[in-house]
Amino acid sequence: MKPTTTAEATRRPPTRGPRISEQVSAAPIAATAVSMAILIAGCTAPQETAPPQPLSTESTGTGSTVTETAAPQPPTQATAGPVPAPAIPVRPATPQAQTPKDPAPRFLTVAGTTINMPIVEVGVSPDGAMEIPEPFNEAGWYRFGPAPGAAAGTAVVAAHVDTTSDTAPFSQLKSLEPGTLVTVQREGAAPVTFRVTGVELMAKDAFDGASIFRRDGPPELKLVTCGGRWLDEQQDYGDNVIVTAVPA
Amino acid sequence: MRTSLFTAGAVAIAAALTLAGPARAAESDAQLSVLHGVPGLTVDVWVNGERTLDDFAPGTLAGPLALPAGDYDLAITAADAADASAPVIGPVKVTLAASGNYTAVANLDAAGAPTANFFTNDVSQIDPGKGKLTVRHTAAAPAVDVLAGGTPVISGLANPNEETLTLDPGTLSVAVAAAGTTAPVIGPADVTVAEGTHTVVYAWGSLADNNLAVAVQNIEGLHSAPAGVPGARSGAADGTASAGQTAATVGIGAAVLLLLAGGVAVSRKQPALRRTR
Repeated sequence: MKPTTTAEATRRPPTRGPRISEQVSAAPIAATAVSMAILIAGCTAPQETAPPQPLSTESTGTGSTVTETAAPQPPTQATAGPVPAPAIPVRPATPQAQTPKDPAPRFLTVAGTTINMPIVEVGVSPDGAMEIPEPFNEAGWYRFGPAPGAAAGTAVVAAHVDTTSDTAPFSQLKSLEPGTLVTVQREGAAPVTFRVTGVELMAKDAFDGASIFRRDGPPELKLVTCGGRWLDEQQDYGDNVIVTAVPA
Repeated sequence: MRTSLFTAGAVAIAAALTLAGPARAAESDAQLSVLHGVPGLTVDVWVNGERTLDDFAPGTLAGPLALPAGDYDLAITAADAADASAPVIGPVKVTLAASGNYTAVANLDAAGAPTANFFTNDVSQIDPGKGKLTVRHTAAAPAVDVLAGGTPVISGLANPNEETLTLDPGTLSVAVAAAGTTAPVIGPADVTVAEGTHTVVYAWGSLADNNLAVAVQNIEGLHSAPAGVPGARSGAADGTASAGQTAATVGIGAAVLLLLAGGVAVSRKQPALRRTR
């Protein structure tokens, strides 16, 4: 009986996981979109000079991947047994060590603007929305998603567009030109630089979180704030401004 | 022979596992994991009469295997039995639904006899910023309480039951104590509940034999996106007014009136017309 090689053994398992994803996630996403539309109806048109872009209806990469955390190990080799065992990942079911996290972002600079601000880590508000730092000159990184510089997925950094009386630095996002360089300094790691590829307006009554918060697929940085027209009745803007940038 | 099968990948695995139904892995495949929770017994696991796990050791978790929906016979024999005709556990027939996620557990019942339990894993999406923790009692022990940081979070859990909590992510110091007590019979052990992950903890082993332990299974990728990105405070950055809040408010009031009037006019002409941006 020849032992299997490590290379062969470790190549197999990962393809299984993602298949279940779309199935699991499609219905909840659709339901969320519908309920959002009901809750936040009546969004007015934005007053942007940039041509609006169609909303992506794809939910690429947001699907659940049902996988085990452990790196699959080569199956146990038996020395006897007439029937070959198929290759199935087997691991000790002990608590797994935390996989090392990517370095957290600490500071954001956008060339040609006054955006030059610290980044703090944020999560989710009680109402289910992303937390935004209170100070107008601080940006929040969604710590449950990928970090800037991660190998896959979108790193989401958001900040207020205004203060109680004036505009905030992120109000400049809507005017960013493609090619603008964005630099993110990181905790204990070299800075990473991104290049803006586009600015998108997404109506809040058609908020597609799956397209912004993506944990796999190509690495991108998403800078997000509010924009469009202020809606007095909702005390909110009609749109989100979403800047997409790719590793430079 | 075995080596060549290994290189053939998931398709071959599914084929080897499946006597009935299509041999190709499909999106609707069920996911089956197998946990060995019987102390001191190395076994082989058979699916539909085929040896699927060879020399499966206590405290190990196998899978997930992608299997087409359908009924399967699971049997557990002594290691390297010639066939599945003399199982030590089973055979049990399980039904896998399309896209379902399951864990079959070989374990001791409350009285200490080997048995098998078949759990359906909740792989629904988890609210953003949360994780799920399920505790399953698969040990030869009476009902237990589960303590997190010394505080009971699950009470009176009996073999073979389970209970699920939705929690803020973090690392918990989890201990298991006899129901109504706080003196740990297992742990405390650190259990990490990650955002978007369903962590399943099994209490297994035997209280009488003093070999109780925990096993952990993680089902990742159940995260969902936040419901919004609320970056607004005052309207001071409104696209139509830049002279401050008062001007913005007045301007918007007028704009809303205009829009209302415009909307009425448009809707008369073409009810289906959508406002474009």
